[in-house]
This record gives sequence, C-alpha cells and structure tokens, in this order.
Amino acid sequence: MNRTLPLVIGAVIVIAAALLPLWIGPFYTRVAQLFFFSAGMAIAWNILGGFSGYWSFGHTVFIGMGAFSAAHIVNRLGPFGDGPLSMIAPILLAGLICGLFAAILAYPILRLRGIYFAIAMLGVSQVVGELVNNVSWFQGGIGVFLQTPVPSAMTPEDFFYYIFGGLLLLCFLISVAVRNSRFGYALLSIREDEDTAMMLGVATERYKIMAFVLSAILVGIMGAVYGYSVGYFTTYTVFRLDFSLNLIVFCLIGGIGTLFGPIIGTAVMLFITQVLLSRFLDIHLLITGAMVVAIILLMPGGIIGALSFRKRRANQAEPAAAEARA
Amino acid sequence: MTLFLQTVLNGLVLGGIYSLAAVGFSLVFGVLGIVNLTHGIFVVAGAYGALFLFARMGIDPLLAIIPIGLVLFAVGYVYQRTIIQWAVSRASLVASLVVTFGVAMMARNGLQLVFGPDVHTITPTYSFMSLTLGPLRIDVVRIVALGASLVLLVALALVLARTHFGRAIRATAQQPLAAELSGLNVRNLHGLTFGLGAAMAGASGAIIGIVQPFTAASEVAWTLNAFIVVVLGGIGSPAGALVGGLLLGLINAFTAQYIGPSLTQAAMFLVLVLMLLVRPSGLLGNAFGESR
Repeated sequence: MNRTLPLVIGAVIVIAAALLPLWIGPFYTRVAQLFFFSAGMAIAWNILGGFSGYWSFGHTVFIGMGAFSAAHIVNRLGPFGDGPLSMIAPILLAGLICGLFAAILAYPILRLRGIYFAIAMLGVSQVVGELVNNVSWFQGGIGVFLQTPVPSAMTPEDFFYYIFGGLLLLCFLISVAVRNSRFGYALLSIREDEDTAMMLGVATERYKIMAFVLSAILVGIMGAVYGYSVGYFTTYTVFRLDFSLNLIVFCLIGGIGTLFGPIIGTAVMLFITQVLLSRFLDIHLLITGAMVVAIILLMPGGIIGALSFRKRRANQAEPAAAEARA
Repeated sequence: MTLFLQTVLNGLVLGGIYSLAAVGFSLVFGVLGIVNLTHGIFVVAGAYGALFLFARMGIDPLLAIIPIGLVLFAVGYVYQRTIIQWAVSRASLVASLVVTFGVAMMARNGLQLVFGPDVHTITPTYSFMSLTLGPLRIDVVRIVALGASLVLLVALALVLARTHFGRAIRATAQQPLAAELSGLNVRNLHGLTFGLGAAMAGASGAIIGIVQPFTAASEVAWTLNAFIVVVLGGIGSPAGALVGGLLLGLINAFTAQYIGPSLTQAAMFLVLVLMLLVRPSGLLGNAFGESR
C-alpha cells in the first residue's frame, strides 16, 4: 500500500489548518474551533460507539466530569506553575479521573447491550449531572471559574483554535491506530456478533472496557479544555443532553464506524447549523431533526457509506460480498 | 406517620398517571421492538390538544380524550406505516431509535412555534377542590386523573386479553412470521399497535394537562419516564406498566419528601440503572418473552 500520499495530504492539511486563522476573522476561527472540539469528541465517541457498536447516549458525562475535575484541581490545589503550560497537569488529571470513573462504571454497565446500554448511559449522565448540580461541594449550581493563561501574544480564539486542532489530530491518530490494531479488529468483531467473537476466543469483556475507558479519557481531556475555553461554567453548561446527542448525529451523518465519518459529519452539520442557519435559531431543532431523519432514510451508512456504495456500484467485481457486508 | 401515608398516597396517584403515560410505549416496545422516542411528543400533543379544545370550545379535558385519542391513533398509524417502517426496512431496528429522535426534535420545535415556549396548565372547574380523608388531603383532579388512568389501563388490558384484535397483536409480538403464516396482516397490525400506543399517550396527555404544568420541552421527560416505567415493570403488558408506574410514582414522591425535590431525577435514574443491572426484564418480565 502506498503510504506516502496520505502522509503528504495529511501534512498539507495540518499546515493549512495551522495558517488558517491568519486569513479568517475571529468569528470563523471560533466556528473552526467548535468544529475541532466537536469532531474530536465525535471521534472519541466513535471508538466506542462506531467500532464496538455500543452507542452511548450519555457521553456528556465525561465532558462535564472533565471540565469540573480540571476546575476543582486548579481551584483547590492551586495552579501548577504559570503560563499556558500550567494547563497541562489539570487537563491530564481530568482525563485520568474520567478514565478511572469509566473503568469503575464499565464492568456493570457494559453487561447491557444495545438500547439498554444507550439508555443506561443516559441515566448515568443525568444522575452525575444532578449530583454535581445539587451537592454543594461540586459547586455545579453556582458555577466554577477556570481562568485560562492565554499567552499575551495571542487572542483567546487563536489559542484555543490551536489547542483543539492539536487534540483533534491526536484523537484522529489514536483512532487510526486503534482501527488498524488487534484491538480495533476485536472491537469490530464485537460489533458484528459479540457472542460469536467471545466464542472464538476474543476477550470481549476486556476490549469493551478498554474502548470505553479510552473514549472516556479523550472526551474528558476535551471537556477539561472546553472548561478552560469558556472560563466560567455551571452544571448545565457542560452536562448537556444535546452534547451527547450531537456526537451521535455527527457520526451518523458522516458514517458510523469509519475513520473519516465523524470528521465529515461534524463539518457538514456545523456548516449547516452554524453558518447557513445562524440566523434561524428558532427552527434549529426542526432542521437538525429533518436532517437526521433524511440521512437515516436516504443513506443509512452516512455520507461515507453512500460514497463507498457508489464506488462499489461502479466496480461490480464483488457486489455480492459487499452487499452481505452492508 | 401522617406524612408517610400522605407521601404514599401522592406517590400512588402520580404513579397512576405515569402508568397510563407509559403503557403505549410499553406496547410498542414489546410488539414492534421499537424504542419510540417520539412517545413524549404524543403525550405533550395530547395535553396541547386538550388545552386547545378546553380554551376554544370549553370541552372538558376528560371528554376531550376521545377526539384526541382518535386523532393520535390516525397520526400514529400513518407515522408507523411510513417513516418508521422505512427506517426499519432500509436501515435497522436501532436506526428507528435515531429516526424517532429526529422526528421528536422536529415536533418539539413545531409545537414551540405554534404554541409558544410558555408553560401551560388546563384549569377545569374542579381543579381547585380537594378531599380530606382523615388527616390526609388529596386534590379532586388527581383522583379523577388516577381513576381515568385506571379505567383506560383496564380497558386496554381487556382488549389485549379478550378480543380478536388483542390476540392478533400478541401473536404478532411473539412470532411475526408465524402470525403472518396464519393469515394475519402483520404490517397493518404493527401500524394499528403503534396507533393504539399513540392514542393511549394522547389520552394520558389530556389527563396530565389538568394535573401538571407542561411545555413542549417536557416531552423529553415523558419519554424517559415511559422508558423507566417499562424497565421497572416489564415490557409489553398493561400490568407491567401499572406496577412500574406506581413504583416510579412512589420513588418520586419519597425522594421529593425525604431527600430533596431536586434529586428526584437522579433517584429515578439510579433505580433505572440498578434495575437494568439486576433484572433487565423488569419486575413482571417480558409479556412477549418467547420471541426475544
């Protein structure tokens, strides 16, 4: 397989993205930042939901937990040094806390499958959100501050643009690595038929937990950075049902379980909702809902699925096998 | 002791309403295997329908159940035969989850555009009366609501158990293929079941409208409540919905009374998650268990 071409294209995209804020104004830098953030989380969701088929409807729990962990670490344990580098330790610790929580939660909750897992995760996110909101120690009701040490030479938009851009790249590379490893194939086998996979000797339990924890850590890290980027947040800023659902919609529109699907889906949806429809806020839900329904009915495999279906139609060499796979 | 009894009473009355609001969801889940995230929309649409009929024509919400039920039956039937049927046949059963979610988003937005974002209540003449039973107090509306819920639940249970239509529904739930081979029109029955579920949801919405304030956004809560009730009680039977609903009502009332009103949701979901882990088929099990 030719490996240089993807590498060159990837490098060009990264360099172009790095230079982009010089041309576009602050508004579009913010939109791009939102895109990086959402796409990164969609990729993290996709590692669990797309590869292993365990659709979580409550991933916002890790966003909230990451953000609140970072805030409490900074506010209670004091800053770790100064300048932008002081963010690193709280963010990593927040990711670790999310991973730990996921590891504890994983054993009981991953026994559930399909719709039951989805709704149980929704339940977990609601319970944790309510607890953070109502137990005064967490200060979710009144909100917490998380000051960002933005370097003086940069505007906050540009600063977070690069951070989220870097995180998106990280998530994507991790996702590629997972997809092409034994781990990734194990997850796919779980998605296709968990019982058969288990019977054939795949350690399904362990791989599921690994995927769940990995996904939680990535989302937690991004939640912590999100906390920094908003500066002040309450429970309802970060524990949001629509975060959880958007991740699924993004993956669904791009193509669940594919590498590029989450990125493409996020780009398409954000372009439509943030750019084209930014003036029609009162019918936002209507449009999003209509898009979701249309995508499911017209191209159940998402954009990637529709494209590869075309390609398959074009070279009729292996139609039967492809159909069976679809 | 009085407080305890009062809490039990409040919980049971609330639970009766939860049961009725959830039974349609339970039926659709049991027979079609679809988690209908539009269910809360049907409930809220029933409440808005009752509000409209009451405010414009002065029709009592309890009488309004009949026209609302008929309209929602038709809507549910058409909705299942078109969008949901397409989603299941083209994509998968899980995709129906996402499709119903998308439709719910659209419908919520539509209701907000039509009726505005305000909180509404329906206030018939009997809404401020209350009865005293020794030291216990209870609002007349709540008794009426509980009574209407029980009547409708019993009616549904009789239809399912005693009529040809009910037998056909149960047969379809157990073995769609065998039901089809025996000459039943399974697609039509699926549509009818869905319509029946939507009608029950609309009826419960009309009752909820006189007991509780509602907005278009409360549909999410009603969908989740329905899911919790089904998980607690068991899928597919009115009895399961009744048990689950009463249990949920009690959990809700006791949490609000003894722990804190802001933690009711957390308590409900905690019980949901525990129940899923301990006994995923619910207290009364799956009424159509053989098939799944």
